[in-house]
Amino acid sequence: MSVQLPITEALVREYIDHSISDVFQTMLTTMTVLVKGTAQAADEPWPPLHAGKEGAKPHIVGTVGFTGDINGVVYLYLDVDFARKCTRQLLGMTEAQLDEAGDEVVNDAIAELTNMSVGGFKNHLCDAGHPCLLTIPSIVRGTNFCVETTSAAQRHIFHFDCSGQHLVADIHIKDTD
Amino acid sequence: MSHKILTVDDSRTVRVLVQRTFKAYECQIFEAANGVEGLAMAAKELPDLILLDVTMPVMDGVEMLSKLKSDPDLKNIRVMMLTAEGSRENVLKIAKLGIRDYLVKPFKEKSLLEKALKIVELTRKPGEPEPVAKPSAMKLPIASIGSRAPQAAGPAPEPPPAPGGADQNFGKAQPAQLTGT
Repeated sequence: MSVQLPITEALVREYIDHSISDVFQTMLTTMTVLVKGTAQAADEPWPPLHAGKEGAKPHIVGTVGFTGDINGVVYLYLDVDFARKCTRQLLGMTEAQLDEAGDEVVNDAIAELTNMSVGGFKNHLCDAGHPCLLTIPSIVRGTNFCVETTSAAQRHIFHFDCSGQHLVADIHIKDTD
Repeated sequence: MSHKILTVDDSRTVRVLVQRTFKAYECQIFEAANGVEGLAMAAKELPDLILLDVTMPVMDGVEMLSKLKSDPDLKNIRVMMLTAEGSRENVLKIAKLGIRDYLVKPFKEKSLLEKALKIVELTRKPGEPEPVAKPSAMKLPIASIGSRAPQAAGPAPEPPPAPGGADQNFGKAQPAQLTGT
């Protein structure tokens, strides 16, 4: 049995940074850089991508949960253009092929990238003494929406730069202990 | 002799990547999207190798593996896990059920191929070039990748055309520009 490490902000940051970096490097041959992390997002514009004066762009949000001794959910936010670029890179498709294939292909690719990213994060949690299992990924598409957390959950938001593209990991953790 | 490989994964994306991994080899790739379909396909085709995910709807990979190993007709089929489940304790639990290898996602297609070739002796198709670390683009069965449901089983697709979809600055592992702290 592993020694149980307390889930701190620093540990969450380390785990999600490592997991996302590993997935984007391995599957898309692209580096990611963690540029900003916050424990709460009380005054942060939402949805997180392009939520300034120009307004929000259409988002694709991959979601995977983890459940066990520790419970939570991770949302990965990408704008549609970035999601399509990831899909083309992953599957080796042209823009025309992706147009023909349709949005479901993008959804499936982003769902799998989210599954791998959250899987790595979850594996770190397990190895830190918090055994849990993954849930099946799902996808949300939208432009103007807000995700809120309950008072019993910790929220961690991390912004990544991926070759000039913006990726946000929104992590909600509820410790059942 | 053409070997049979069964990929059991609820992600159509992963199944396409598996197809691409083995496209240069004389083998048939069969697909299933969950453990129930996987067991049925295994019983029907008796594959030489099963690539098995863990987290799937309907029946997960651990339950499928347990049922496979308790079936006298199927228990000798070789299984490699291909899954995002990679915690030490869970890997050990799954390994005890009887698997030949374990590959944690994210994965390089080259790694998958190397591990598979240690389990199944595959023959390269005539005229196929040696595999490279970075996979080239492939002509996808576009009409068939629109859902996580599996498609009709069949041989691996034809070799791909040259890449045409990748962004010039994306996918080259260049350091990103820092925009904050």
